[in-house]
Amino acid sequence: MKWVPSFGFQRRKRELQDEIDAHLQMAIADRVARGESAESARQAAEREFGSIPLVQDVTRDMWGRGWLEQLGRDLRYALRQLRKSPGFTITATTMLTVAICANSTVFSWIDGTMLRPIPGARDMGDLVSLQRGERNFSPTPPFSYLDYRDLREQNHAFAGMLAYHNDWIALTGGAQPERAYIAKVSANFFDVLGIKPMLGRFFLPEEESRAAPNVVLGYSLWKTRYAADPAIVGKSIEIARHPMTVIGVAPEGFVGAAPGLRDDLWVTLDPLGNDVWRMTHRSGGAVWLIVIGRLRPGVSRGQAAQDLDTLMQDIVAAYPDEHLGDNRITLDPMWRSPFGANGYMAATLPILLAFAAVVLLLTCANLATLTLVRFVSRRRELAIRQSLGANRMQLVRQMMLEGAVLSIVAGAVALVLTPWTSKTFAWFFPANAAPLVLSGSLDHKVVIGIAVSSLLAAMLCGALPAWRSSHTPAAEVLKAESASISGGSRNRKLLSGLVVAQIALSLPLLLCSGLFLRTLRNLAAANPGFEQDHVLTASVGLNIAGYSNDQAQLIRHKILDRVSALPGVEVASLTDWIPMTLIQKRNDAYPEGYVPHPHESLLVENAEVGPRYFESLHIPILEGREFTLNDDEKAPSVIIVDQTAARRYWPGQDPLGKNLRVWGHLFTVVGVARNSTHTFVNESPEPMVYISYFQHPGYETIVQVKTEGNPVDLEPAVENAIHGIDPQLPVFDVRSMRESTQMASIFAVLESTLAGMFALIGLILAVTGIYGVVAYRTQMRTHEIGIRMALGASRVDVLRLVLVQGLWLTGIGLALGLAFALGLTRMIVRLLYGIGANDPVTVVSVVMLLGAMSLLACYLPAHRAMRRNPVTAIREL
Amino acid sequence: MSEKDQYKNRVELLQGTLDMLILQTLQWGPQHGYGIVQALRLRSGDVLQVETGSLYPALHRLERQSWVQSEWKQSESKQKARYYRITAKGKKQLASDLGRWERIVEAIGSVMYVKQEESES
Repeated sequence: MKWVPSFGFQRRKRELQDEIDAHLQMAIADRVARGESAESARQAAEREFGSIPLVQDVTRDMWGRGWLEQLGRDLRYALRQLRKSPGFTITATTMLTVAICANSTVFSWIDGTMLRPIPGARDMGDLVSLQRGERNFSPTPPFSYLDYRDLREQNHAFAGMLAYHNDWIALTGGAQPERAYIAKVSANFFDVLGIKPMLGRFFLPEEESRAAPNVVLGYSLWKTRYAADPAIVGKSIEIARHPMTVIGVAPEGFVGAAPGLRDDLWVTLDPLGNDVWRMTHRSGGAVWLIVIGRLRPGVSRGQAAQDLDTLMQDIVAAYPDEHLGDNRITLDPMWRSPFGANGYMAATLPILLAFAAVVLLLTCANLATLTLVRFVSRRRELAIRQSLGANRMQLVRQMMLEGAVLSIVAGAVALVLTPWTSKTFAWFFPANAAPLVLSGSLDHKVVIGIAVSSLLAAMLCGALPAWRSSHTPAAEVLKAESASISGGSRNRKLLSGLVVAQIALSLPLLLCSGLFLRTLRNLAAANPGFEQDHVLTASVGLNIAGYSNDQAQLIRHKILDRVSALPGVEVASLTDWIPMTLIQKRNDAYPEGYVPHPHESLLVENAEVGPRYFESLHIPILEGREFTLNDDEKAPSVIIVDQTAARRYWPGQDPLGKNLRVWGHLFTVVGVARNSTHTFVNESPEPMVYISYFQHPGYETIVQVKTEGNPVDLEPAVENAIHGIDPQLPVFDVRSMRESTQMASIFAVLESTLAGMFALIGLILAVTGIYGVVAYRTQMRTHEIGIRMALGASRVDVLRLVLVQGLWLTGIGLALGLAFALGLTRMIVRLLYGIGANDPVTVVSVVMLLGAMSLLACYLPAHRAMRRNPVTAIREL
Repeated sequence: MSEKDQYKNRVELLQGTLDMLILQTLQWGPQHGYGIVQALRLRSGDVLQVETGSLYPALHRLERQSWVQSEWKQSESKQKARYYRITAKGKKQLASDLGRWERIVEAIGSVMYVKQEESES
């Protein structure tokens, strides 16, 4: 930028020189023509012309300064001013950096998750996520293949519609089986997303519903396991003991269609052709697909939803038995898609961003106070410059530039820090079974965000005081200087307003963080209804490793025997589900003869659990019995329901012996278990049914062990026991129940950590803000206070004089802040647990804390004023 | 007439009249700085001697105000020079300057005549 104006300036300077030369040449030529000698003509012409440098100088003055040159001059002046007060400069820059960085960090998280739900996909805005029936957090996949195909082929609103199912699988064939996350996808999966293969090809339409043992590798799997083999296409690899042919490699960065979750490889929906049942049914276990559509250009989400609803009604009318319950279709943009991580992100991150924005506002208010105080003390300088001819615009521009310089520097530092802070996101997510790929991202959107924050900061902390100061007539300021006792009523009002604003802004931050912290405490203290402390779980990759059903059952029995016999193990059981890990399974269930209401959701959560499961988790069986080893494939189908399910289906009756239809099978209730937490401590209880593991083997095989001592100590022993059966058995996710269930409170941890940090910053800013203003004003009134004391005012009077002023501001700030806060807490009420949004204890303690800190901040300058010697006070100034 | 005498005869240009004089000179056709000086001296019978230290700042100011435009051209004597040309805006300005000038002359004149009459009576 600097080159352009200086280049223009140089050119004009040269032109002026040429113009003067021409003038002289013509004058000489004229004189020579009149008969003078060349030498005397030159001398005369030069004499007549006068001093060339002087002419150049006065002419250049006429050019006026280019705005850039003027800016440069103002900038140098602003830098000089900032250098003169390094304390202010460093404090202000640091404060702004922290505030901008808070914003950019949270925004980078939003950017990395909600705004880039499917990295690599084309025109993300056109993609919508389809959901059938009840809306909730982490719903189960909502569509059967046949329903999906009908919707895909008959709709008028979509340019394309893909389906997928996430799973995991073992990559066999190597020394040790390796777990990989796999997605079974419709053939058009990559097409609809707009992904092009890096190597080879993707799936062909005719491969979708027939056996086609082809696999597409993800970029990172190709790199790590296959050493980035450029000739991988066409080679055969072993997946769960089946040979599959690699047909392509996905481009770098693309990790699948579920926001926040990673796929390592992709196959078609039924690659081996052994899953025909799932491909040809419309209910129960055949409802397994998550569907994403790409809207046709010009079609709105509402229109598309209507189109699909009509189609779905036709499907329901054609196959009523397969479509009990709620079948309404809702569409979500990908940033809040309920599948994957974005549902959770959308509930948490925008609120945190709002908090960060409040911190930025607060910082700006604080800096505006500081700037104003500085400008008031520079009033004399400004007034003199104004009377010397500086116009008001110039002065305003210079003040704004000081704010702008601070903000730009702060923005630049924030830009350097954000790549690091955005990575801290991953710290909040403990190790778990899901392939989470959550991290902040730093792309142009974040950079723009930082620039906008800086600009906002510059406007608020530079322009506001500048605008105020520019309204003071110069003469008045010069005159007022000697008589002024408190910096003029205009500035006093603005300063008071800023202090009130700071208190009013920090109170909601404090209140929200107080509520979040108490929520976190309540969550930690809450009893989930099952034992968390002495339980160890380990996943065994039986299914994914490609064992047959009979082999798998045998291995499971062996595992139970061996693990139960380990010293330190009280009870060992099997399950296919660990509570509070954000994983759920749902199915339609209804008693024999039950007539559902239209659109009534019949979904219940379900889990397959082995004998002594309830004993190992300390969940009491209130009626009837637990499963035993005898509840196997040959025995009559049995089921255990929890209290919520019992109340829902058989209110006021004894559920024992009643029949319940799940997946079309009829089960007899043999027990009622006490309610326990399924996903979140603060969930509203959903009905849960338990099915005997050895009767209907679950998909996952998770060994659950109740230990005598610390469960972590048993980890190697349990793992060895399993490997003792077959060293090739993949064992994953061996960890204590306590660690697993942390997943349920990660968002509470995230919220309370950030809100707590922001509130702390807010408190510091508000308190320093009020301290600064009261101290400054007291200093301005030193003279007056001296006179008052000399006239007989007691020290207490002085103390009161100063304190009352500060307390007024605090009082008004607290009142406004309280109103603001009580409005704001409604936004977070959904995120709270065990505490109301207006919890009086929290409100009172937060108000007291802020009030007390403000009082202290006012007391310090008051105390100093009180102790002054009146004589020196009067002499001062 | 010696050069010294010429200087004595110079009239201090009233502030603002230089602009008007330059614009008027350019009415007769585009001209460079030296040409303007010569034209003014010629027309005023050697009375008006514009100093370069006033002329060039004035020209550059007029150009910035878009009352004149400049371009580099060859003079008749093959000398490359910067020629100034009056613009439509400049013509308007000239008319208004002239009007004001006439009013001032008239006002000054009437003051002087009254004085004369008074002193005569």
